[in-house]
Amino acid sequence: MNYQAPLQTALLEVQDLKTEFHTDGGTVTAVDGVSFAIERGERVAVVGESGSGKSAMAMSILRLLAYPGIVAGGKVILEGTDITTLSERKLNSIRGRIVGTVFQDPMSSLDPVMTVAKQMIAPIMRNLGLSKDDARAEAIKWLDKVGIPEPERRIEAYPYEMSGGMRQRVMIAMALSCNPQLVIADEPTTALDVTIQAQIVELMKTLTAEAGAAMMFITHDMGLVARFAHKVAVMYAGRIVEFGPVDEIFANPCHPYTQSLLGTIPSADMVKEDRLPQIEGTPPDMKFPIKGCAYKDRCAGAHDRCAVEAPVLDSRGPHHTAACWLPKGLENTKSLKTEKTQRKLRNDNTEPHVVVELNELRKHFVSNQVFSPSKSMTVRAVNGVNLRVWNGQTLGVVGESGCGKSTVARLMLGLEKPTSGDIFIAGLPQMVFQDPASSFNPKMKIGAILEEPLVVKNVGDKHSRTEKIQTLIRQVGLDPSYLSRYPHQLSGGQKQRVAVARALALNPAVVVADEPTSALDVSVRAQIINLLADLKDELGVSFVFISHDLLTVRYISDQIAVMYLGEVVEYGPADEVFAHPAHPYTRALIDAVPVPNPAIEKTRTNAPLSGELPSPLNLPTGCPFASRCPMVTDRCRAEKPILPPHKTSRQVACHYAQ
Amino acid sequence: MADYAVKKFFQLIVTIFGVVTLVFFTLRFIPGDAASAMAGDTLSGAALENLREKMGLNEPLLSQYLSYLKSLVMFDLGETLTTRLPVGGLLLKALPITLSMAIATIILTVTISIPLGTLAAFMAHKGRRWLDNGLTGMAMIVDLMPSFWTALVFLLIFSLTLGWFPASGQLTWEDPWALVQRLALPVMVLSITQIATMARITRTSVLEVLSEDYVRTARSLGWSELQVLFRHALKNAALPIATVIGLSFGNLLNGTVIVEFIFTIPGVGNLLINGINSRDYQMVQTLIVFYALLFVTINFVTDLIYRTLDPRVQF
Amino acid sequence: MADLSIKSAATVTPGLHKALAAARRNPLITNIKARISLFILIPILTLMILAPVLPIQAPLETNLRALLESPSLTHLFGTDKMGRDIFSRTLAGIQVSLLVGFSVAGIALVSGMIFGTLAGFYGGILDRVIMTIVDIFLAFPSLLLAIGLVSVMGTGLIPVILAISLADVPRFIRLQRSQVISLRSRAFIDAARTVEASQYWLMSRHIVPNTIAPMLVAGSIAAANAILIEASLSFLGLGIMPPEPSLGNVVRDGQLYLEQAWWISTLPGVVILLIAIGLHFLSDGVRELLDPRSRK
Repeated sequence: MNYQAPLQTALLEVQDLKTEFHTDGGTVTAVDGVSFAIERGERVAVVGESGSGKSAMAMSILRLLAYPGIVAGGKVILEGTDITTLSERKLNSIRGRIVGTVFQDPMSSLDPVMTVAKQMIAPIMRNLGLSKDDARAEAIKWLDKVGIPEPERRIEAYPYEMSGGMRQRVMIAMALSCNPQLVIADEPTTALDVTIQAQIVELMKTLTAEAGAAMMFITHDMGLVARFAHKVAVMYAGRIVEFGPVDEIFANPCHPYTQSLLGTIPSADMVKEDRLPQIEGTPPDMKFPIKGCAYKDRCAGAHDRCAVEAPVLDSRGPHHTAACWLPKGLENTKSLKTEKTQRKLRNDNTEPHVVVELNELRKHFVSNQVFSPSKSMTVRAVNGVNLRVWNGQTLGVVGESGCGKSTVARLMLGLEKPTSGDIFIAGLPQMVFQDPASSFNPKMKIGAILEEPLVVKNVGDKHSRTEKIQTLIRQVGLDPSYLSRYPHQLSGGQKQRVAVARALALNPAVVVADEPTSALDVSVRAQIINLLADLKDELGVSFVFISHDLLTVRYISDQIAVMYLGEVVEYGPADEVFAHPAHPYTRALIDAVPVPNPAIEKTRTNAPLSGELPSPLNLPTGCPFASRCPMVTDRCRAEKPILPPHKTSRQVACHYAQ
Repeated sequence: MADYAVKKFFQLIVTIFGVVTLVFFTLRFIPGDAASAMAGDTLSGAALENLREKMGLNEPLLSQYLSYLKSLVMFDLGETLTTRLPVGGLLLKALPITLSMAIATIILTVTISIPLGTLAAFMAHKGRRWLDNGLTGMAMIVDLMPSFWTALVFLLIFSLTLGWFPASGQLTWEDPWALVQRLALPVMVLSITQIATMARITRTSVLEVLSEDYVRTARSLGWSELQVLFRHALKNAALPIATVIGLSFGNLLNGTVIVEFIFTIPGVGNLLINGINSRDYQMVQTLIVFYALLFVTINFVTDLIYRTLDPRVQF
Repeated sequence: MADLSIKSAATVTPGLHKALAAARRNPLITNIKARISLFILIPILTLMILAPVLPIQAPLETNLRALLESPSLTHLFGTDKMGRDIFSRTLAGIQVSLLVGFSVAGIALVSGMIFGTLAGFYGGILDRVIMTIVDIFLAFPSLLLAIGLVSVMGTGLIPVILAISLADVPRFIRLQRSQVISLRSRAFIDAARTVEASQYWLMSRHIVPNTIAPMLVAGSIAAANAILIEASLSFLGLGIMPPEPSLGNVVRDGQLYLEQAWWISTLPGVVILLIAIGLHFLSDGVRELLDPRSRK
């Protein structure tokens, strides 16, 4: 097994770890011989997608695998001791005390019927040997450190009384309060909004550096890796395919997967005419043993040896290893750069006209309490939105939870009735939904699903409809044989393609895509984005692209509207808004998005936006952003800045925009 | 919480009204009206008319309904057909016996089924499925045993053949030991079904909780599996279990009727059967209303208790 | 009481027979539970159907020379106080049970689907009214409701079926309603709404087809429960009245002779238990059969 032999001070050393899940359907080898080391105080990012085995690997280290998972081989050496052979009892004294954990979903990771105090204090007492009062003081100290306001009061709260960001801070406090040497964080920010994510990442960086703790940070977001890590381990199909210092990996990736992954992220210097490089295919099914290299089916540089022999981690530079038979990966073969084919731009002679117009659109949800009318709550989800979209243009709508973007989508599609305001849409708008799993009737075949819009609208006869659905399925890059399959037989990416096909069935003028790629694997997202961009060019369809993924929105949109608390706070051409954000919130949002380039990341000031996302229940008077704005004045709190409706050029809802 | 309680209370009142009204109208739908049903073949003609008059059956429907409601509220439940005894009094005498059987059953059930179910879930969670599968299989079979059959089999084996318990005899409060002996067998029969249901629910609930994320968090902090079970799992599992306790009370009530019949226990069920046999449909309906009200009230109470256990609802 | 000849039973069983045959042919029934259920139910069914041609005494025929005989080769389950063959009566009783069971399940399924879909789909006042009525019926423990209704409607097959149905229908309405409510918010419903599909289209094409499988599973379980309630009613003297045999009243007949002739009460009870187990396990097989996910 070739890997860099660690220095004597290595905190954690994993040697050839193998983990299996013995399910009824067969044995899944989730982790297939993973070896690496983490030094004291080092931050190592483990990157991979679903099926890569990263979470299983992390859980295997502490033997926290749920049945039917089991560590099937290898060693885990923590501070010199092989913990794979330790008894459960001894392992319990290591968990929490030497190794702390932060999990992904703060909503479900805290006991809902226990106060924070009860959940935090007892472990501190146990692991640090403190008395109850001392432990309580310690807990409060940590809550303060993670930025929870009024910690003495909050510690008696129940988890449901806190927001997602706050809960995650509590989790971090819980993990760090026992002074561990190593913190394992499994996608700790994935469930959080962008600006909150930035806060949490900063927090973790600062606190672990302070405490001198090492961190193993699992993620799928290359940007976060660039912002956060010292070293990177890239995992694919249960193995580490590349490992090395973060600067090296980003500047000089050697494994095709790493190279492709970095390529699929829309970078700041990309223009829309460039096609996004995409990775074909999907991650392999870990139920079946893999012969040769696991990545060969998707690799542009695959050759005979790859099919027969699995490559091992080999040195590529100081502390840099990669597992590939091609020393430089894809650089010498069909390089990614030449993949950037030009997009055919449609020659459009149609008169520019408006296809979507929203005027003073408002939607209020009122919940009536029959027995105590004073407690009626009004959620002002959409609070006066003015937007226009021209034919053939793509409008990107960005914002975080509670900003109202999904409600605007539903209003446009007629799924909700507006409380006030006008909506004009050319034709019958269609939608691509976020969750591919619930987008389709599980009892219907794909063919019937595509045909449904045509049947409902009585378009053509059976023959012409059959032809149309054949065209549609090919248009989205799927073979017509898929028409006779059921939704559960398709992968997430394939389902989204079908969703796009269905949206196009009636040749709509407007298609709304609500977070169409959020539920997909990173390597698959580019496929869908390219598909949408291609269709836009071919068919002249106008898209309203709703997302929180700023990089993608920037890439695919012509104009961008930034929403906050039910209002549009900034509007303008996508490139401009990104290059020169005028509204403080837009600026904060862009700052919060980590860019997959460590050099750039190091130069960023990284002062994340403070405060929590306010709830649309209690809207302040004045500017909705006043509570968090770094430039706030009294005028902001009193007077709401108005966006002049439908000016084509830049609009900013701020008293002090430059 | 107050909002919720008030809302539920209103629903309870509506349901009670509905129950009472439904029963009132079904009584009126007996083919040939209540009087002739009660009288059977013994009366006809003028005597039957007299009975009708006496029962108030010739009044307009609304006033009959109102006087019915009034009598229920006043707990004036009329008299039995045959023996002319006040039904209210009989009910009050029979109630303690049925209730003591019910309470004994509940205590026995909770004591046995919760540990059993928890153990099965715990083992299943770790992958040792044998206890779990065995328990679930047995529980299902026991659940499906017709209660009258179980009672007869128990009676046959433990009373008639082995002689451990008496099969009949007077029941007085003065002799507690004899009371226990008499009630032991029926309580066992009732318990065995309840335990089957409760153990399964406990097992499912605990198993589900054990695979929740917060259990994993607790383990990552160093708690052992057993500690996690007691600190986190049981409290969270208690919530769905509490809801089921209310519902299974209905089955318990069903069961009391049957065991009282088989073991000749002078409880409310026995009263009911006697009423049926003597064609005293008034009393039968009244008793059924009583059972329904009891059931619905118990459900209301357990629902509120469940809500107080769950802090998420307390705002 | 109508004469329960094999003819009337045969109108119920062909459907069941076809379903069972299809299930057996179907390679999906690798489910252990379903196999056990068929192992139990098919012999019982066969015996029941073959009863008239079997060399046993007729169910109503008495034989005063063979009173209270213990089980033997001529009388597999023994005889009762009037010399009637218990085994034969049991077989006849099975007919009644299955008839009641499936009738109740059928009625409950249909009513449940109609009212549950309406309540869940349209909401509002319709929902409130339906659910209030449902709550009122659910206020009665099932056996007691059946007792109450039978005491009003009289004994016999039809009143028993109706009475037990009324106890089960509310549960089915509730089940269907909750399914419909959760389906209503799924994305594919929204997708159909974006092409302005009618309410009827949404209900018939999308909602109802996705509710059928759990309802059928519940129906199988309801059939088992109905059989148990009917047996209890007959046992209490409120269901099928003798001399027509029902599994319940045969057990009742044996109650007085429990010590001398235990077979009269115990053996038919075992049959009830077996049928109930069979139907419960069958529901598991039905669940797997109807889940498109297991089709690969």
